[in-house]
Amino acid sequence: MKVSLFATCLANQFYADACADTVRLLRHLGVEVDVPKAQTCCGQPAYNAGRRAEACDMARHTATVFSDSGYIVLPSGSCVGMMRSHYPDLLSEDETVPDLVGRTFELSQFLVRVMGVTKLGKGLEGQQIAYHHSCHALRELGVRDEPLALLRGCGAEVVPWEADEECCGFGGLFSAKLPETSAAMADRKLDTLPEVDVLTSTDGGCLMQMSGRASRRSVGPPFKHLASLLWEGVGT
Amino acid sequence: MSARDRILGRVREALAERKQEAHPGPFGGWRSEGEDTPAVDRFIQLFEAAGGEVVRFDDDAVAAAWVRDFVSKYDAVSMGRLARWPTAVGAESPELVLKSADPADSDVGVSLAYGAVAETGSLIMTPQDGRRAQLLPPVHVVWVEEKMIFPMLYQALSTLGKDLPSAVGLHSGPSKSADIGQILVKGVHGPGRLIAVLLADKKNST
Amino acid sequence: MSGGSTPGQYRNEAARTIREEPQVRDSVTKATLTFDAHRVEAFAQIDSERWRDWARDVKTHLLTHLDKYLEEAEAQLIANGAKVHWAETAEDALEILAGIVREHGIKSAVKAKSMLSEELRVNPHLEKLGVDVRETDLGEYILQLLGEPPSHIVGPAIHKSLEDCRELFHERLGTPVNAEPDELAAAAREALRKDFLAADLGISGGNFMAADTGTIALIENEGNIRLSTSLPRVHVAFVGIEKLVPTLTDVAGFVQLTSRAATGQPVGNYVSLIQGPKKADEPDGPEEVHVVLVDNGRTKLLADDEAWEALRCVRCGACLNICPVYRQTGGHAYGWTYSGPIGAIIAPGILGLEESMPLPHASSLCGACADVCPVRIPIPDLLVHWREKAVTAGLAPKSETLGLKAYSALAQRPKLFNTAGAIMRRAPLELGGRALPILSGWVLERAAPEPSAKSFMQMWEEGIV
Repeated sequence: MKVSLFATCLANQFYADACADTVRLLRHLGVEVDVPKAQTCCGQPAYNAGRRAEACDMARHTATVFSDSGYIVLPSGSCVGMMRSHYPDLLSEDETVPDLVGRTFELSQFLVRVMGVTKLGKGLEGQQIAYHHSCHALRELGVRDEPLALLRGCGAEVVPWEADEECCGFGGLFSAKLPETSAAMADRKLDTLPEVDVLTSTDGGCLMQMSGRASRRSVGPPFKHLASLLWEGVGT
Repeated sequence: MSARDRILGRVREALAERKQEAHPGPFGGWRSEGEDTPAVDRFIQLFEAAGGEVVRFDDDAVAAAWVRDFVSKYDAVSMGRLARWPTAVGAESPELVLKSADPADSDVGVSLAYGAVAETGSLIMTPQDGRRAQLLPPVHVVWVEEKMIFPMLYQALSTLGKDLPSAVGLHSGPSKSADIGQILVKGVHGPGRLIAVLLADKKNST
Repeated sequence: MSGGSTPGQYRNEAARTIREEPQVRDSVTKATLTFDAHRVEAFAQIDSERWRDWARDVKTHLLTHLDKYLEEAEAQLIANGAKVHWAETAEDALEILAGIVREHGIKSAVKAKSMLSEELRVNPHLEKLGVDVRETDLGEYILQLLGEPPSHIVGPAIHKSLEDCRELFHERLGTPVNAEPDELAAAAREALRKDFLAADLGISGGNFMAADTGTIALIENEGNIRLSTSLPRVHVAFVGIEKLVPTLTDVAGFVQLTSRAATGQPVGNYVSLIQGPKKADEPDGPEEVHVVLVDNGRTKLLADDEAWEALRCVRCGACLNICPVYRQTGGHAYGWTYSGPIGAIIAPGILGLEESMPLPHASSLCGACADVCPVRIPIPDLLVHWREKAVTAGLAPKSETLGLKAYSALAQRPKLFNTAGAIMRRAPLELGGRALPILSGWVLERAAPEPSAKSFMQMWEEGIV
């Protein structure tokens, strides 16, 4: 099986190890991974800001970069959500796009739904984990059970958390434009968080938001990207 | 051109290029599971869950005696016009005539409902009875014929719709509010006690 | 405008509320979580997806035939003995009201809770006309005593705690300092009873209006709407033109769906179905019923090829209850009558695009609202739609325009993109805040993120992975 990795602009710079762990995890499962060099950004920041022209340009670039790929896997729910929900409309003149986005998956989604894998190893045994459902993974992709199955499959306990499906307040540029409201949303997450060994999510933006706020307030558990935690879960 | 014409004109202009969509058909109150409970039981279940009280009678005279006894404990009674049916309570109770007062000064009001709705646990109140008697006294006693309990609200409205009075009220329990710190309180403006006196459907009762 | 604020003040008002009034965030969070939990329970009892599809389709049909239904409703209302007025703007609506007040020598009015009457600013106008106006919904009554506008579509005073109410009632109504909620409610009931009995005029809105029977449907729990529309000799109902539904049997579906979505009840405790003034065989009821059909920007929304879907709104408040942004501040920070997700998507039609900014941006686009909307309004798509319109209208901040244009140009040139990334990594956000002003807001509330030792693309290039 061959997969092209789309690191995504944010993870590429701030969660590079998670991208690397994604590659390691896929290779461990016998998947051949390539990384098209011309990849940059899916265009979501422009799209969400109402800059349709710029979003189209970035979408077109991304679609071209991955046009020859089979499966495309991303360590991010929001970027996959962007591609699946909006590329067919932004690039309506390109008939290959619906098929392309149909082959595009967030990592946990790919492991469970395409590869049928839920048991990676025992590397997370004894760990109590809080799982944050990133909005786009949850609502745009319907990814809810996959990460939980994978984490439990590695022996972890995913602890109940009343605010686990609530938005963390990242929202891309929203976090910088309306920082006070954004921080209050992160506080809601942090203040309802039970005692855990680690907090994880499919999305680096969410982790950056919550860990940044936690750090400012000197609270909170360690934060790890799901890809890195699952690689740890392999336990080799 | 009047405001009316200008508004309608803007509406037509806005819709000029828009695809017209068909009405999807009547509302069906669709449930996730089958609903086999008889209408009267369903009505009682919802009405009581909302804080309403229910008493049931097979016999009109017994029901009338119960109401007479109930209201006799209060100083001032307000009878809706139609609540004089089935006559046993009204004209033949001189003590109630003496107690009769304007709804604004009454402790208890007695009305006849047009019917009820099982699906929502609602009494259907029509204005011929007098709206003030249905709203002002702190306690409200309502006659309801069980044969006029509609399973679904749309059925009730469909029937009512053929000859509508000035206003119909659906009363589904005692007056309530949670506006004070999200805590439920009763009897804020409407009656704080709502009692449904159900009169059995003689055709179907054993 | 709400409490003297405007949408343009959103950021400051939100920041101030969060910083200086933490009890508002607590009260609003508690209330909205409760409402939403009730909605979930109520939706689980029905085939909620089917109900939502039906409601969306009825409202879509209604809106695409709106002129026909408006004409039908008007004819029916007139046949019922009601008087029908048409108001293009808020000023026109107030002028119509003033005419009725003068004609009848109105001195006192009781008001049912009506968001439209807030939008039109009915109360200040009535006061100018010398009419003593009393809000009768308990939540609105509390706010009227405080001089505050509503902060939520269904529960206007959810930003107030029990303590706030105790203090207020002790001061104004003489209740004991530690009065229980039912003592407070009893005091309000007694105070308002006199107003109901004395009022010349009752004012309401309209949740729905059936075109086939000329029926105004009003949903409530307290009984103040039944009283306000039954006791005074004149009743004036303000109804937005989008509130129509084709038939009275359609109303059956909508009152149930709206009640379940708003508070989780199978139906609101009282539903008033009003056709017109009292008939000859009725002992009481208003002698005159006036219906004011209000446009006030709704035709503008209707003309927008995407935003017209927002007119399906049934004002249930479910989107406010689920919104993680709304939850942090309540409605006042939005600076307008309608707040939360629905407020942001109708404001550009009713207030104008520039006046509405930045409300379409006061969202992380989490999508929770679209999941709960009983009439399936695609709220996140409409938020992006208005953001696009704002860009086209030149309303986007300059730094954002320049920043995103530059970013997009780089993103189409991979080598430059990676070089720029390398530069950004060496100048962490505290410094980058000057180079990238749109990101400077980050460090106000959070620690700057640490870039990875090497970018992934660099690691890949170097064969580390």
